Amino acid sequence: MKISGTYTLPFPRERTFALMQDPEALARAIPGCEGLQHVGPDEYKMKMKMALASLSGAFEGKVRISDSVPPESFRLIVEGSGRIGFMKGEGLLTLAAVEGGTDVSYDGEAQVGGTMAAVGQRLIDGTAKMMIKRFFEKLAAEAAS
Amino acid sequence: MATTITKTELLVGKRIRRREDPRLITGTATYVDDIQMPGMHHAIVLRSPHAAAKILSINTRAAEGTPGVVAVFTGKDTKHVGPVPCGASLPGLRVPHHYILATDRVYFVGHPVAVVVATDKYLARDAADKIEVDYDVLKAVADPEKALAVGAPAVHPEWPDNTAFNYHQEGGEVDKAFADAEVVIKQRITSQRLIPTAMETRGVVAEWHAADRQLNLHSSTQIPHLLRSLVAGMLGLEENRVRVITPEVGGGFGSKLNVYAEEALMGFVAMQIGKPVKWIESRRENFLCTIQGRGHVDYYELAAKKDGTILAIKLKIVQDLGAYHQLLTPAIPTLSVLMMPGLYRTKNIRADVVGVFTNCVPTDAYRGAGRPEATHGIERMVDILADELKMDPAEIRLKNFVTPEEFPYPTATGLTYDTGNYAAPLEKALGIVDYKNLLKEQAAARQQGKVMGIGISTYGEICAFGPSPATPAGGWESATVKIEPSGKVTVMTGACPHGQGEETTFAQIAADELGVDIDDVLVIRGDTAIVQYGIGTFGSRATAVGGAALYFALQDLKAKIKKFGGMLLESDDVSYSGGEVICNKTGASKPLSEIAGATYRAMKLPPNTEPGLVATYFWEPPNFTFPFGAHIVITDIDRDTGQVKIRRYVAVDDCGNLINPLIVDGQVHGGVAQGVGQALWEQAVYDDSGQLITGELMDYALPRAHMMPWIESHHTITPTNVNPLGVKGVGEAGTIGASPAVVNSVVDALSPLGVRHIDMPLSPEKIWKLMGGNN
Amino acid sequence: MIAQAFDYAAPKTLDEAMTLIAAGAKPLAGGMSLIPMMKLRLAAPEQLVDLARVKDLNYIRESGNQLHIGATATHYAVESSALVRAKCPLLAAAAASIGDVQVRNVGTIGGSVAHADPAADYPAALQALDAQIVIRGAKSERTVSAADFFVDAFTTALETGEIVREIVVPMEDSSTSYQKAPQPASGFALVGVAVRVRKNGDRIASARIGVTGLANKSFRASAAEKALEGTAGTAADVQKAAALVPQGVDANSDLHASADYRKHLASVYAARALTAALS
Repeated sequence: MKISGTYTLPFPRERTFALMQDPEALARAIPGCEGLQHVGPDEYKMKMKMALASLSGAFEGKVRISDSVPPESFRLIVEGSGRIGFMKGEGLLTLAAVEGGTDVSYDGEAQVGGTMAAVGQRLIDGTAKMMIKRFFEKLAAEAAS
Repeated sequence: MATTITKTELLVGKRIRRREDPRLITGTATYVDDIQMPGMHHAIVLRSPHAAAKILSINTRAAEGTPGVVAVFTGKDTKHVGPVPCGASLPGLRVPHHYILATDRVYFVGHPVAVVVATDKYLARDAADKIEVDYDVLKAVADPEKALAVGAPAVHPEWPDNTAFNYHQEGGEVDKAFADAEVVIKQRITSQRLIPTAMETRGVVAEWHAADRQLNLHSSTQIPHLLRSLVAGMLGLEENRVRVITPEVGGGFGSKLNVYAEEALMGFVAMQIGKPVKWIESRRENFLCTIQGRGHVDYYELAAKKDGTILAIKLKIVQDLGAYHQLLTPAIPTLSVLMMPGLYRTKNIRADVVGVFTNCVPTDAYRGAGRPEATHGIERMVDILADELKMDPAEIRLKNFVTPEEFPYPTATGLTYDTGNYAAPLEKALGIVDYKNLLKEQAAARQQGKVMGIGISTYGEICAFGPSPATPAGGWESATVKIEPSGKVTVMTGACPHGQGEETTFAQIAADELGVDIDDVLVIRGDTAIVQYGIGTFGSRATAVGGAALYFALQDLKAKIKKFGGMLLESDDVSYSGGEVICNKTGASKPLSEIAGATYRAMKLPPNTEPGLVATYFWEPPNFTFPFGAHIVITDIDRDTGQVKIRRYVAVDDCGNLINPLIVDGQVHGGVAQGVGQALWEQAVYDDSGQLITGELMDYALPRAHMMPWIESHHTITPTNVNPLGVKGVGEAGTIGASPAVVNSVVDALSPLGVRHIDMPLSPEKIWKLMGGNN
Repeated sequence: MIAQAFDYAAPKTLDEAMTLIAAGAKPLAGGMSLIPMMKLRLAAPEQLVDLARVKDLNYIRESGNQLHIGATATHYAVESSALVRAKCPLLAAAAASIGDVQVRNVGTIGGSVAHADPAADYPAALQALDAQIVIRGAKSERTVSAADFFVDAFTTALETGEIVREIVVPMEDSSTSYQKAPQPASGFALVGVAVRVRKNGDRIASARIGVTGLANKSFRASAAEKALEGTAGTAADVQKAAALVPQGVDANSDLHASADYRKHLASVYAARALTAALS
């Protein structure tokens, strides 16, 4: 499944870029994330709990950042698997300075497997959108901190 | 003294209600899941969530430590069990070794990896969650054409081209015909993967009696005897030590014409734990692990003359086989090739099939098995030709039909069509819809901006599988008829039914031949310890082959009844009718009940005659049968949304003589539903990584009653001369006729826009886009 | 298709149920969404509180100029209720278009609303009706409008420990219609549009358009409503308003319908619903 979109964050580009590479900020923003653990350069182990409607499940996975071109762009790879299935998302994030903040455009692919994939087809698109929205909203909230 | 009612009224040809229905509709039938046994355990199969991966390790310790769990087995425990068999053979066929549990690699989502056995299914399911499998996930390929591309991931590393076989068949002078052609049309036509979705999923109960070396296997199958032979081989047991019992089977559509890993696996488990074990497939497993149907990408070329005469057909089939061969997987597309000439006088045929491995569950026989794909393609191509030549689709068909005087008709694919009058059902259907006025109505509707289509398909079938040399496991069928001392009749058929109503139709045949009441006839099937060896129910064969075997067994019995009756009447000149042997000279008679008693009492025997009244007949058919028909579909398309509404569905099927028109109509209805389902809604969709994303009935759109049009079912009757009943078979007819009729109708509706072909399913969005979408 | 073990309670009073829910139990109404998820082990609640025996959740009654529908009234009860059919036919129509008869016999209005499936039928009608959702917590009750209740996909204004107790809809003399393009497999709405219009003389005094299936949550198509109000509701007015329904909406896309097609369907079905209501 292709995912793409743009979200405006209320920070200057440099600050936005730094924030999006900060494991603590990412951990706070990734929905259901219960912590990131540094395991290598730009690579983190992640524990995540997903709860959506009556669906719930724990995932373990990895977050990886690559192709970093500060403060313009980087590639974000998120993988997780748990008993109810697995998911993988990979996308290029591009940052552009705009008035009052930074436009973060994302363009990538998401893949879901296991039981989730089979039963959640009509929900996956909406869910992905919702999670991305929550992610950016949480990041935006970092402005206050 | 028991009485046998004598009667003269014939039952064959009557709309008799199915005798099996009371138990089915009152919920008192016994399916595999209804079987309970003392000490019975329950098995859950753990399956791969990945389409392609190496298994690095499997840790079963936590699962084994779960209270109630008695055993966990993985591929290393079952390596010695024989592979899941492929019964089809083709020159150069590559057959991957198909272990019953994965060993070091998984090849499709749902691939069995381990089995957990516990005292109840809940504990087994909980324990399955505790098995840790470390996978090294590999790149998968789910699309057969992508699998053929250079650099595609290899499904089986030993065969990087993903090609299981190449099959070529040719008849006539194809190149010359194309050189001589005035018109050549080409079209790529797909027939998507479908999920058979029997109402009852698969299920197995296995019990092992170690002291007797006896394995009893209760399985929801279409082929109890073949299953017994093959599972015995897989488990290294003597064939006579395996008993397969097939209780009620809630549908199969070909998906239970197979031998599955779980059938041998449960046998293995029962032998290991020494207790009965039950495994019932969940609907989700049914979607992931039971064979699927179709999976064709076809490239057609058709050569014709300007007057509409079809000269030659070339076809390249890319068949998606899935990751393994199940029982008949590679053979299915060869049936498409046989069917290529359709009903037409086309003497030049060339087919090339490439069988392709993909990281998906195997394809295999699904209602029609190879013939719907071919018929869909041919019937589409004929419509495209008609469009090219601006000819009427009915006229072009009538022009090319094999004519009644040409039978027996040898085809370019090596078949001999038995009997036929192909124009008859088409003309009848055209009459029913009042074709001429319908065309006027359509022209007027188009003037008003309405989108209305008329679709015709004239299909042919190969049924009554079949002569033994043409089938992998024998094409005969068997019947035993026992007349008990009281005169009651027990019929045992080897053609074990799974919803086709043989308990009724076979009783009709027996009742008529013996002149007894239908309630005096009991039809038994589905237990290899009781019923003589049989082949099974598939390929529209049960009545045309199994019914014929029954007919011949009944003739043998009648001869014996006459001998005993003549002895009792002290006459050599007797006849048998109405359940009595009658002396032709005196008119004196003896009822069957009395004669039956005498055969068992055996106070006196006719010369060279044994006591008792039992006959068994194994009948080998001399040929297939070739039913045919014409379906006409009228559609109205919603201009705003692209929704297709079937206004009228007229089916005129010629399946030879009808034993029970009620059951025949039921078969046509069910078949049409599945054909319309393929045309409009059904599609198994895999993503690029091999995940089945239509993995539940929430996303896989099966037709439901309220989505179906009213089906006007009619018949013409052209009896076959292949069997004495004159029946050809009807189980698959509806499916074969329906999909091209619906698609032809929708394409016809859109033809003013220049549309010539649409691949199935005809989703409203596809049609909306063809009509211009937002523009 | 075998659920994980769970505790099960079926109290007879709402207070008992609320105590268990406050302690973390998951409420079970008809179970038409929850049970399949549990069977697939996508959901694994430790305790279920079955609300089926709580009598004072299962009712349909009128009071003043409003209809009160208890959370565990089944879709079939709503669809077949003479009261609902007479006084709020839009809600009966939405109920009648849910799933299949087996689902409607068991599924409940409260369960559906609380689940907030973005393609469920009720939310469109509740948006168009300006319905009030009565929410019951452990100690108190509050009322939220449908517009505020549906927050996102499967996300509502319900806080932990709260349940939907009652749906309140107006009874008034308006013309309504619910039109839906069903997804062929699930019966959920690819797009469903509920409209409620009231005329004053030959002018449309008020228009309410609720949309489901199009986006992550049901919503009211306010621009279309405004475009319609004050007009005579001619075919041209309807077309103009219907075209506004999907405008600016971040439409969902899946196997069954792309975002573009969904948006197109939203216009088509809005026009059909408006035409039906105005005729």
